[in-house]
Amino acid sequence: MNKSPRRRIMAAVGLMAGLVFLAGCAKDAPQDTWQPAGPNAEQIDNLQQPVFLVAGIVGIIVFLAVAFVVIRYRDRGQSIPEQTHGKPALEVTLTVIPVLILIGVAIPTAGTIFDLAKTDDTEMVINVTGQQWWWEYDYPSTGANAESYGVVDPIVTSGQLVIPENTKVLLRVTSRDVIHSYWIPKLNGKKDGVPGRVHLLRLEGSKPGIYAGQCTEFCGLSHAYMRMETVVLNRADFDAWVANQLKPYESPAEGTLAAEGESLFIQQCSRCHQVNGLTNADGAPIIAAPEQYMVSGAAPNLTHLMTRNTFAGAAWDLLTPECRDDVWNANTEEFGARYLAGVSAECLNQKDLREWLRNAPEKKPMYADPTKLQATDGKYRGMPALGLTEDQIDALVAYLLERK
Amino acid sequence: MAIIERPSAEIAVAGAAPSGVKPSEALGVFKRPAASTSWKDWLVTVDHKKLGIMYGVAAFFFFIVGGVEALLIRLQLAGPEGKILSADQYNQMFTMHATTMVFLFVMPMVSAFANYFVPLQIGARDVAFPRINAFGFWCWLFGGIFLNTSWFLGGAADGGWFMYAPNSSTLFSPSHGIDFWVLGLQITGIASLTGAINLIVTVLNMRAPGMKLMRMPIFTWMTLVVQFLLLFAMPVITVALFLLSFQRSFDATFFDVAAGADPLLWQHLCWIFGHPEVYILILPSFGIVSEIIPVFSKKPLFGYPIVAMSGAAIGFVGWGVWAHHMFASGLGPVSVAVFSMATMAIAVPTGVKIVNWIMTMWGGKLSFTVPMLFAIGLVVQFTIGGLSGVTHSVAPSDTQQTDTYYIVAHFHYVLFGGAIFGLFAGFYYWWPKIFRKQLSESLGKWNFWLMVIGMNMTFGPMHILGLQGQPRRMQVWTEARAGEGFFNIGFWNRIASLGSFILAVGVLLFIINIIYTHKSKKVAIAPLDPWDARSLEWMTANPPVEHNFDSIPTVNNLDEFFHRKYAEDPNTHEVRQVATAEEVLAELNAHPDEHIHMPSRSYWPILVSLSLPIICYGLIYNRLLMGVGAAFLLLTMFGWAMEPSTAPDDDFDPPAPGEGGGHTKELAPLG
Repeated sequence: MNKSPRRRIMAAVGLMAGLVFLAGCAKDAPQDTWQPAGPNAEQIDNLQQPVFLVAGIVGIIVFLAVAFVVIRYRDRGQSIPEQTHGKPALEVTLTVIPVLILIGVAIPTAGTIFDLAKTDDTEMVINVTGQQWWWEYDYPSTGANAESYGVVDPIVTSGQLVIPENTKVLLRVTSRDVIHSYWIPKLNGKKDGVPGRVHLLRLEGSKPGIYAGQCTEFCGLSHAYMRMETVVLNRADFDAWVANQLKPYESPAEGTLAAEGESLFIQQCSRCHQVNGLTNADGAPIIAAPEQYMVSGAAPNLTHLMTRNTFAGAAWDLLTPECRDDVWNANTEEFGARYLAGVSAECLNQKDLREWLRNAPEKKPMYADPTKLQATDGKYRGMPALGLTEDQIDALVAYLLERK
Repeated sequence: MAIIERPSAEIAVAGAAPSGVKPSEALGVFKRPAASTSWKDWLVTVDHKKLGIMYGVAAFFFFIVGGVEALLIRLQLAGPEGKILSADQYNQMFTMHATTMVFLFVMPMVSAFANYFVPLQIGARDVAFPRINAFGFWCWLFGGIFLNTSWFLGGAADGGWFMYAPNSSTLFSPSHGIDFWVLGLQITGIASLTGAINLIVTVLNMRAPGMKLMRMPIFTWMTLVVQFLLLFAMPVITVALFLLSFQRSFDATFFDVAAGADPLLWQHLCWIFGHPEVYILILPSFGIVSEIIPVFSKKPLFGYPIVAMSGAAIGFVGWGVWAHHMFASGLGPVSVAVFSMATMAIAVPTGVKIVNWIMTMWGGKLSFTVPMLFAIGLVVQFTIGGLSGVTHSVAPSDTQQTDTYYIVAHFHYVLFGGAIFGLFAGFYYWWPKIFRKQLSESLGKWNFWLMVIGMNMTFGPMHILGLQGQPRRMQVWTEARAGEGFFNIGFWNRIASLGSFILAVGVLLFIINIIYTHKSKKVAIAPLDPWDARSLEWMTANPPVEHNFDSIPTVNNLDEFFHRKYAEDPNTHEVRQVATAEEVLAELNAHPDEHIHMPSRSYWPILVSLSLPIICYGLIYNRLLMGVGAAFLLLTMFGWAMEPSTAPDDDFDPPAPGEGGGHTKELAPLG
C-alpha cells in the first residue's frame, strides 16, 4: 500500500509539470500567453520563462526530497529516533538559498515593470473604452495620429482594434460603466478599464495578423461574451484601412433592398447606433443618442461594420468559418489584402447575424428586457429584441452588407 | 456561572463521567438553564467542545453546499456553450461557491478545531469567554443561513466574492442578492471578531502552569497568529461592507463614479482584508500538519521556533502584499514593484515551513496512517500552489495570468490541496478524541487517493487553461475560440470537469466512512491514545470530560504528553517507553482539583444572535421588521447583562499562596 501511492504521486506531479511546460508549445492557440507576437509580450515572456524553470526545478527538488524521505524512513521497525529539535546552521542555509533565488528574480522583475510602463516613446494614441459588453476604439485626429498616420478625422470603431505593424501604440483604457480589462495575450499583459480613470497600456505587434483577447475583469451578465481582437497591418495596408474608414458615406441605390434597409435602420437602429454621414430625407445629419437609451451611454458605431469581421462584442464572426480561416491563416504577405477585403455577401455569416437581429438578448445574455428596467431608469444594458420580421431582417442585412 | 462541586473521590476513577454534578441555584429572575442530556442542551451550551462539534457539523454541511455549487460550475463548463445554468445563475453560482467555501466552510471549520483543541492543548478548562463563544457560533450559523436564503428570495449575489464596485451597485445588480451577501457576511464577521478576541485572551492568559509560549503546540501557535490576523482584518471588511450596504440601501455614493468616487477604493479595502484572509485560511492547516507529521515520524517538529516564528512572519508580511491582486488595476510602476517584491518576500517563511516538515520526517520512523497521508498531500500540493504563486509574484507575468484559470489553479492548490487537505488530516487525526471511534483506515485511504487524483485532475489542467488564456468567471466557452490540438481548452475543460466528480466521490467516501464507523458493530472503541501522540489534548479521556482535566497538568516540555510516556537516555539518545497513555492519565487524575470552576449554560447567546438576521431581513424588506429585530436585540442584550452569576464571590479570589501547588484554581473562565 505504501509503495505504489508514492509512485502515483510522482507520476502525477511529473506529468503535470511536463504538461504545463508543453502548454507553451501549443499550436493554434489564439490566446496563448507563451507565444508573444510583439516586444511587450516578449519582454514579459523573457522574464517569465526562467521563473517557470526555476520554480519547476525547486518543485522537483522538493518532490524528490519528499519521495526520498517517505521511502527511506518509513517504519521498518527501527527504534524511535533521537528527539532532535533542529539544526540552526542547516535551517539558516535553507532560508538563505530561497532568499538568494528570489533576489535573482526580483531584480529583472523590477526592471521589466518600469520598462513596460514607459510612455515617452509613443508613436500613436488610441482611446479604448469598455462598456457592457463590448469595446469601443476611438482614434483621435491629433498629434502624430494625424501627422504621421493620416487620421485627419476621428475614427470610431469597435470589436477589432486595427494598428500598424512595429508601431508603439499607447492605449488610453477606460470604461463607461463597470470595470473591464483589456487583454491581448500575444501583445501585452492586461490592463483594467476603470470608470473615471484612464490607464495606459502599450501595444505593439511585430507581425501582421489577428490577435485574440477577452475581457478579463468580471463585468456582469455577459462577461464571457466580451471579446476583442487586435489586427496588426503593415504600414501600406494600415494607410489603406485609415483611408477607407474616412471615406464619405454612400446611400444605397434607390429601389434596392439595401435602400429599404436604410430607412428601416433610420427608424429602428439609428437612435443608438451611429452611421457617420447618414441623413434624414431633408438632409439633416442623423446623430445617434445612445445616452438616452443605454446605461453605458454608448452603442457600437456601425459606419464600417463590414470592414471588421466580428460583431456583438467580437463574440461572433461576421465571416463564415471557411472565409474566416482564409483571413486568420493567411501568410504575412497576403494577410493585409484579405483582411481589407472585408465581408462580402458570399462570406457573410448569415446565421449568427440574423439570430442577433431577430432576438439579441436570447443570443447574448443582457439586461435588455423592457419590463425589467426600473433599476436603470428605463435604460438598457445591451441590445433589446426589436421584433423585426424576416423581411425586415433581409433588408437590414442587405443594408449592413454595404457598410464597408 | 456555576460551580461543579464534587468530592474528589468520585472523580478519582479515570475517564468516568463526572457524577454528582449539580447545577447551582440560579439567582434573580433570569435563571440559567440546567444541564441536561437532551438536544436542547446543545442550544444553550457554552462548552467549547460542544461548540466545536457544532461548528464542525454545520461547516461540513456548507462544504457540501459549496461543493454542489462547484460541481454545477464544472458541469456547465464540461462542454462548449453549456446550457446547465443561465448566465445569471452561473454568476450567482461562482459568487456563492467562493463565499461559501471561504466564510462558511474553511473559516468555521478552523473555528471548530480551534474551539475544541486550543483549550485542550494549553491545558485549560474552557475558553476565556464561553458565552461569547456560543454567541459567535450562533451568529455565524444564522449569518450563513441568512446568506443562503437569498437563493429562494429572488437570487443570490452575482458580483463575485470580491464584489468589485461599481458592478455591485443596485444599478448593475438590481436583485437583493448582494444585500443578502453584504448583511450575511456582516453577521458572520461578528463571529470572527468575537472568536478572535476570545481565543487570543484564552491563549495568552489560560495556559497551564509551565506552558510558556514556546512550549505551545504549533496548532495553538498558528491559531493565535490567525486570531490576530482576524482581529485586524475583519474591521476592514466590516467597514467596506458598511459602505457598500449604505450605498445599496440608503443611496450613499462611496463607489459612485458619477459622484466623484474612485472604484479602486473598494479594491484596496477588499484586498487589505482579502489577502490576510488567505493566511487565515491556510495557517491553521499548517498548524494541523505540524502536529501530525511529528506524531507519525516519532520526532519533534524540526525547528519548532522557526516554524512558529515563520507563521508569525507570514502574519506580518501578509499585510503588505494586498495589491498583488491589483497588478492590472493601474496602480503605477512604483506600487507594482513594491508589492511585487513584498510578495516574493513572503515566499521565504512559507518555504521554510515546507523545509521543516520534510526535515521533521527526515530520519524519523514514518507510519502512513490516513492523517499522515493527508499531511504529506498538503506538503506536496501546497508546494505546487506556492511555486505557481511565485510565478505571479513577478508582476509582469501576473498581468498575463491574473483573472485567468491559472490563478484558479493556483489558489485551489493552496486552499484545496493545502487548507482542505490539512482539515481532512485533522478530521482523521482527532476523530477518536472527539467521537471515541477511529475512522476506518482502509476507507480513509480510498478517500485520500480519490481526493488526490480528483483534486489534481480538476485543478492541474487549469494551469494549462489559464496559460492558454481562458479567463475566469466565464459562463461558457465556445468551440470556435477553443484553439486546436492537444492544448485546446475544450479538452482540458472536460478533464477538469471529470476530475471534479472524482473529487466529489472522494469526499463522499469520507461521509460513508463516518457512517460506517459509527454504525458498524465491527468498529471497536478506539484506544485512549491511538496514534501515540505528543500534545496535551491527548492527555484526557476520549472524549474529554466536560471540565477537560481533573487536575491541570504542569508542563515541563514541548510535547509534554510524549515526554511523560517516553524517556530519552541523555548519552545514547535511546528513546524508550516509560509509561502508557493510560498510566499517564491515571497519574494526572490521581489528585483531582477540589474546586473546579465551570461556566453555566445560557439562553442568551442564541437569542441575541437570532435578532441579527431579523434586523437584516427588515433592512431588505420592511423597516418595521427592522425595528422589531432591534427591539428584540436590546431586550436580549438586557437579559444577557442581567443573567446571574451563580458562583460565590470567593470563587474569584486569587488562590492563596501555597494552596494546592498554586494552580488548583486556574484562571476561571468568565461565564
